[in-house]
Amino acid sequence: MIPVIDKDKCTACRKCIEICPPQAISLKDDAACIEADLCEECGFCAAECPVNAITIPFPISGR
Amino acid sequence: MTNNGSEKYPNIFQSGRIGRLISKNRIKYAATETNFPFGDGYVSDKEVAYMEAQARGGAGIVTTQGAYPDKLGEGKGFKGSMAIYDDRFIPGLARIADVIRKHDALSCLQILHCGREGGVELDYCLMPSIVPQKLSYFKPPREMTKDEIKQAISDHIEAARRAKDAGFDMVELSGIVGYLISTFISRYTNKRTDEYGGDLRSRCRLMIEIIQGVKARVGDIPVGIRLCGHELLDDRGGNTMDESIETFRIAEEAGADFLSVTVGWHESSQSVITRDVPMGHWLPVAEAVKKKVNIPVMMAFRQFFPHIPEKAIAGNRIDFWELCRPMIADPELPVKIKEGRENEIIPCVACNLCFSRLYYHQPIMCTVRPNLGHEAEEDWGYYRFYPAKKNKKIIIIGGGPAGLQCAAVAAGRGHNVILYEKKKELGGSMLLASKVDEGAIELLRPVNTLEALCRKAGVEFRLSKEYTGEMLEDMQKKKEVDAVVIASGSVFKESHNILTPHNIIAEEKKPGRNIVIIGGSGTGLGIAVFLLRNNDYRITIIEEGSKPGRDVNPFYLWQYMGLMKKKNVIFYTRSRVIETGEKTVRFACPKGEIVLNPDSIIMARSEPNKAWHNAFIDITPEVYFIGDAKKPRRLQNAIHDGYRTGMAL
Ligand SMILES: Cc1cc2nc3c(=O)[nH]c(=O)nc-3n(C[C@H](O)[C@H](O)[C@H](O)COP(=O)(O)O)c2cc1C
Ligand code: SF4
Ligand code: SF4
Ligand code: SF4
Repeated sequence: MIPVIDKDKCTACRKCIEICPPQAISLKDDAACIEADLCEECGFCAAECPVNAITIPFPISGR
Repeated sequence: MTNNGSEKYPNIFQSGRIGRLISKNRIKYAATETNFPFGDGYVSDKEVAYMEAQARGGAGIVTTQGAYPDKLGEGKGFKGSMAIYDDRFIPGLARIADVIRKHDALSCLQILHCGREGGVELDYCLMPSIVPQKLSYFKPPREMTKDEIKQAISDHIEAARRAKDAGFDMVELSGIVGYLISTFISRYTNKRTDEYGGDLRSRCRLMIEIIQGVKARVGDIPVGIRLCGHELLDDRGGNTMDESIETFRIAEEAGADFLSVTVGWHESSQSVITRDVPMGHWLPVAEAVKKKVNIPVMMAFRQFFPHIPEKAIAGNRIDFWELCRPMIADPELPVKIKEGRENEIIPCVACNLCFSRLYYHQPIMCTVRPNLGHEAEEDWGYYRFYPAKKNKKIIIIGGGPAGLQCAAVAAGRGHNVILYEKKKELGGSMLLASKVDEGAIELLRPVNTLEALCRKAGVEFRLSKEYTGEMLEDMQKKKEVDAVVIASGSVFKESHNILTPHNIIAEEKKPGRNIVIIGGSGTGLGIAVFLLRNNDYRITIIEEGSKPGRDVNPFYLWQYMGLMKKKNVIFYTRSRVIETGEKTVRFACPKGEIVLNPDSIIMARSEPNKAWHNAFIDITPEVYFIGDAKKPRRLQNAIHDGYRTGMAL
C-alpha cells in the first residue's frame, strides 16, 4: 500500500526523501508528498520518519 | 500437451507417500507468509486466489503460510499473518483447504509461533530465556513462565484441531530461524534451568510435547515439522550440526510423520538463500537427516532447477522437493516442467524483495512477476491476458527487461510488436549487472525467459538496429505505427575524465588505484564490489541520500557493506558533487566542501536519455516511457513498468 503522510505531523526534515529508493518523495508546502506513480510501496519512508508522520494502511476485516 | 517432463524427471513426478496419504508427485509448495490476509488474521480473497494459483500450478502438496496459534498475538510475526487461534477463523481457512483440494493437491496447514520474531503488534516477544536481540527490528524478549509454556502447547494443539476441522489433509509445525520451537531447541537462546532447558533432549521438550499433543488430538492426519538442520550460529554458541540433526530423530520418535530440513537463522552471519549460494548447496544437511530417520524428508533452499532435486531424490538424499520463492515467481513451475515448457518458467532471481516487504508491513511483491497478489483479477492477466480491444502496431525501443516484458505482454494481448535493440544482444543493463559478483549471472534468466515468451507471442526482433526519429517519421507517414514505447534505459554522463560502469565492466578498463565513485546506490556499490572482488583499490563513494545502497535488498547490502568495510571504502552521504576536473572532484557534504584528487572518477549515477523525449513526443500521439528511460531504478521497476504498460496498451 502507498503510505499516507500526515501533513500536520510532518516537520519537513527530509529523512524520508533521503531514503526513498525511487526518489518518489518531495517537499510541497513544507510537507513531504509522495508521487504515487513512482512509489514502489517499499515502506522505507514510514520506518525512517522520526515523528511517525507516515503510516502504511493495512486493511482489517473488522469481522 | 506433451508430458515429456515426467519422463525427464521420473523421480519428481512419481507419487509419494506421507503417513496414510498419497501425493501425485514429489513437489511441495513451501510455507510462504504473504501479508495478504487481513490485519485481524482473517483469510482474504487475495490469499485464497493466491493459494488457488499455487494449487492449480501442479504441486502435489500445497502448504499454507504459517498461521499464528495464540490470541495475544505473541506468535504473530507480520501485520498480515493468518490466524488460527479461534474457531471463528475456520470458515476462512476452509476456503483455502477447498481450493487446494479442488485442484487435486494435498493441503497442509502450517502452524507458526514466531517466538523471538513474534509480537509484531506488542512491545515484547516470548522466549525461553532473555537473550537480547541482535536484529534491532525485533521486540525485546521476555522469559516465558511455565504457565505460558503450557498455554503455548495447548494453543498449538487446538490450532491443529482447527486445521483438521477446516478440512486440511495434514499439519506442519514450523520451528526454524528463531521461531518459538527453535529458540527452545537452540543452546544459544535457551538458558533455562527447569525441565524445558538443559541438555538437548530437555531443550526439545517443548517440541516433543507439542508433537505428541497434536498427534493425540488429530491422530489420523499426518503431522510434520520444519526444523533447522544447521543453525550457523557457531559464533554465538548455537547447537552443533550433529545436535541439530539429532533433533529430527527426536521429532520422529515423538511421532512426526514428515520432516522439512532448513538451514540458518535470520541472525546467522552467513547467507543461505542469496545468489552467491550455489544451487543445491544445502542438500548434504538434508541427507544427514535422511540417514537417521525412516519418515519422508524434504528440503527447499536454492533448488531452483528440477535436475537438482531429481538427482537428490534418486540418490536418496531427500524424498520431496520443496519450493518457496521459485513458486512465488511462478506458481505454474510444476506444470511447466511436467509439460516440457521449462523455458517458460518465470525464474526467481533470489533477490528477496518478497521477503523484505514483509518486514515493512507490505504485502509481498515479486521482482519478476508483477501480477503476484492479483491472481483472481482478470485485468492483471495471471491466467490469461485479456485481448486488446484494437490491434495496434507497436514499436518498442530497447531490449532490456522493461522493453522485453512490455513486448511479451503487448504481443500476448494481440498487438503487433516490433522490438528494436541497438546492441546485438538482449538484456539491457542486466548485461552489466550479471557480471558484478558471484551468482549474478542468474539475473540473465528473466531476460532469457522474456525472450522466449516474446517469441512465442510473435514479437519481431530487430537487433543491432538503432531506432531513429527519421524512421519513426517515415513509419508514421505509412501508418505503420500506433504507439511507441521507449525502454531505452538510462545513460551515464560520459566525458574524457570520467569512466562509466560500461567502461569498467564491459570494456574491462582498469581504473587507477585511488577512485572516487559518484553515486552510492546499487549501481555504485555494484561497481565497487566488482572492483574489490579481485583487486585492492582505495575507493571513496559520494552519495546524495542518507544511506548507501538504499535501493539494494538488505540480504545483499550487508554482504556488500561487509566487503566495503574490509576494504576500507570511505562513504560520504548527503553529499552532492559540485564539479569534476582532471583527477579532481569537488563536493559538498554536511561538514562543508571537500576536494579529492583520485586517479580515476567513475560515474555511477545515470539519467534518462532526454534525447528520446524531445525527438519522439511530437510525432506519435501514444508514447510511453518505461524502466530506466522513465527514471533509473532497479530490475523490479523495469519489469513492473513493462508489464503495466503492456496491459494498458
Ligand atoms: C516471503 C517468504 C515467506 C516465508 N514464510 C514462511 C513461513 O510462513 N513459514 C516457514 O516455515 N517458512 C517461510 N519461508 C521460508 C520458505 O518456506 C523457504 O524455506 C525458504 O524461502 C527457502 O526456500 P526457497 O529457496 O525455495 O525459497 C518464507 C520465505 C519467503 C521468501
Ligand atoms: S513507500 Fe518506498 S517508494 Fe514509496 S514513498 Fe515510501 S520510501 Fe518511497
Ligand atoms: S521523515 Fe517524516 S517528518 Fe521528515 S519530511 Fe518525511 S514525513 Fe516529514
Ligand atoms: S521477489 Fe525475488 S526472491 Fe522473491 S520470488 Fe520474486 S524473484 Fe524470487
